[in-house]
Amino acid sequence: MELRPPIVIASGVGGMGEYLKLIDPRYIGAYTLKTITFKPRLGNPPPRLIATERYLINSIGLENIGVEKFIEELENGLYEELFRKVKVIFSFAGEDFEEYLKVAEKMAPYQDRFVAFECNFSCPNVHFNPLSDTNQLKKMLIELRKKLDVFLIAKLGIEGAFIEQVARLVEECGWNGVTVINTIRALHINGETLIKGGISGPVLKPIALRAVYEVRNRTNLYIIASGGIMNETDAQDFFKVGANAVSIGTALYRDPEIVERIAKKFL
Amino acid sequence: MENFSLSRCELIQLSEDTFIVTFNERIDFEPTQFIMIETETSIVRKPFGLGRWNDRLAIGVQVIGPGTAYMVQQEKLYAHGPCGRGFVPPEGRGAVIATLACLPMVFDLQERYNCDVLIGSVDEPWIEVPFPLVVGDEAFLKMLQSLNGYDWFLVIGSDQMEKIAYDALKNKGEVFVSFNEYMACGIGACRGCAKVTKHGLKHLCIDGPVLRGEEVWN
Repeated sequence: MELRPPIVIASGVGGMGEYLKLIDPRYIGAYTLKTITFKPRLGNPPPRLIATERYLINSIGLENIGVEKFIEELENGLYEELFRKVKVIFSFAGEDFEEYLKVAEKMAPYQDRFVAFECNFSCPNVHFNPLSDTNQLKKMLIELRKKLDVFLIAKLGIEGAFIEQVARLVEECGWNGVTVINTIRALHINGETLIKGGISGPVLKPIALRAVYEVRNRTNLYIIASGGIMNETDAQDFFKVGANAVSIGTALYRDPEIVERIAKKFL
Repeated sequence: MENFSLSRCELIQLSEDTFIVTFNERIDFEPTQFIMIETETSIVRKPFGLGRWNDRLAIGVQVIGPGTAYMVQQEKLYAHGPCGRGFVPPEGRGAVIATLACLPMVFDLQERYNCDVLIGSVDEPWIEVPFPLVVGDEAFLKMLQSLNGYDWFLVIGSDQMEKIAYDALKNKGEVFVSFNEYMACGIGACRGCAKVTKHGLKHLCIDGPVLRGEEVWN
């Protein structure tokens, strides 16, 4: 996969393409859609967000329309403008191993439309953590690889197992890349309200840097670095430790024009 | 929808903690639409309702923390918008009930729709307000009780003030409420500003900010 510029809009943050209203597509290497699951998901009850200067905790809970409705929208041309303007990465997940396979089966006929499929194995806002059962994960990685010919990316988090060990497994199963890392489970106390969710923002950068470093030293996978990339220097640091592309997520909430500024540095 | 910078024209102090900021730039917007403004104190932008004051684009700001303090300190602000759905009132006679910080929004609304406007304030304002005004909780409740002969109401303010107004007005006409919910993107991408309604989940940045009160409350 060649992305020019090597900049990806992160899944979840980018919604279903809405940020094209605010970002010139010439500066986007690929746009990752919000994760689609087998069944529609309402997501978690509000409050879903809390932000400080250094971090954001979100508890969206993979709200999405489900794969059948997504395919209906795809066939009805709802995303034509998006496909015309940028390369698109399809992100998917399931509530168990079986559901990952079902989404892959449903989407297999459409894989040529996407530059890659990103399998979200690490959402901190759902109860199922595929990374905690390596044997099952391996079986699923092999099955998914058989079902899909597309450039296949595993989105990995740091909870469940050492990320470099999982990345090795991903590579051994014939996958092409990894997104490193996802948000991490966190909690914020706001008066009497406890907000549980996944933390993102600048506080993640050192953790994500280490993760990219470890994965690069043990694999030849294509690495999309994700976690706390807020400016050009942050992006540069991730390329130094071996990232092939950087994913911009939470930084979009502070300033959507950050994508253009980073892209100009690496075009 | 676009990115833009706003340069401050005037800062008008309405009370100890409430201000109107007017800007030199002009942007097209519909009533109750908002912009997302960047601050140095949060990783996400904050929504502010758009309005007019002294024939200029304006926002109202109640300083409740470092983020809102930033809004009134800066000469230049970075934002995107306009976001949200514009409020179009139904047929009939209407009244807008708002807090002091919403003055620019309701001033614009009144000019476009010729509705009545009533302002509730905790403190006596430092300037003359061009609408009927009540000061204090008790006077606010009395004012709500005295409102009759309207077909619809629009309430804009804090969560607590909006619920009180809704309860007092729900049997007098159709009550619309400009709801408040934490936002990150303001454009429908992040799904953070979800509101549970009788008709399912709604997202205030694209379905709102104004919803019918009875969709959310009994």
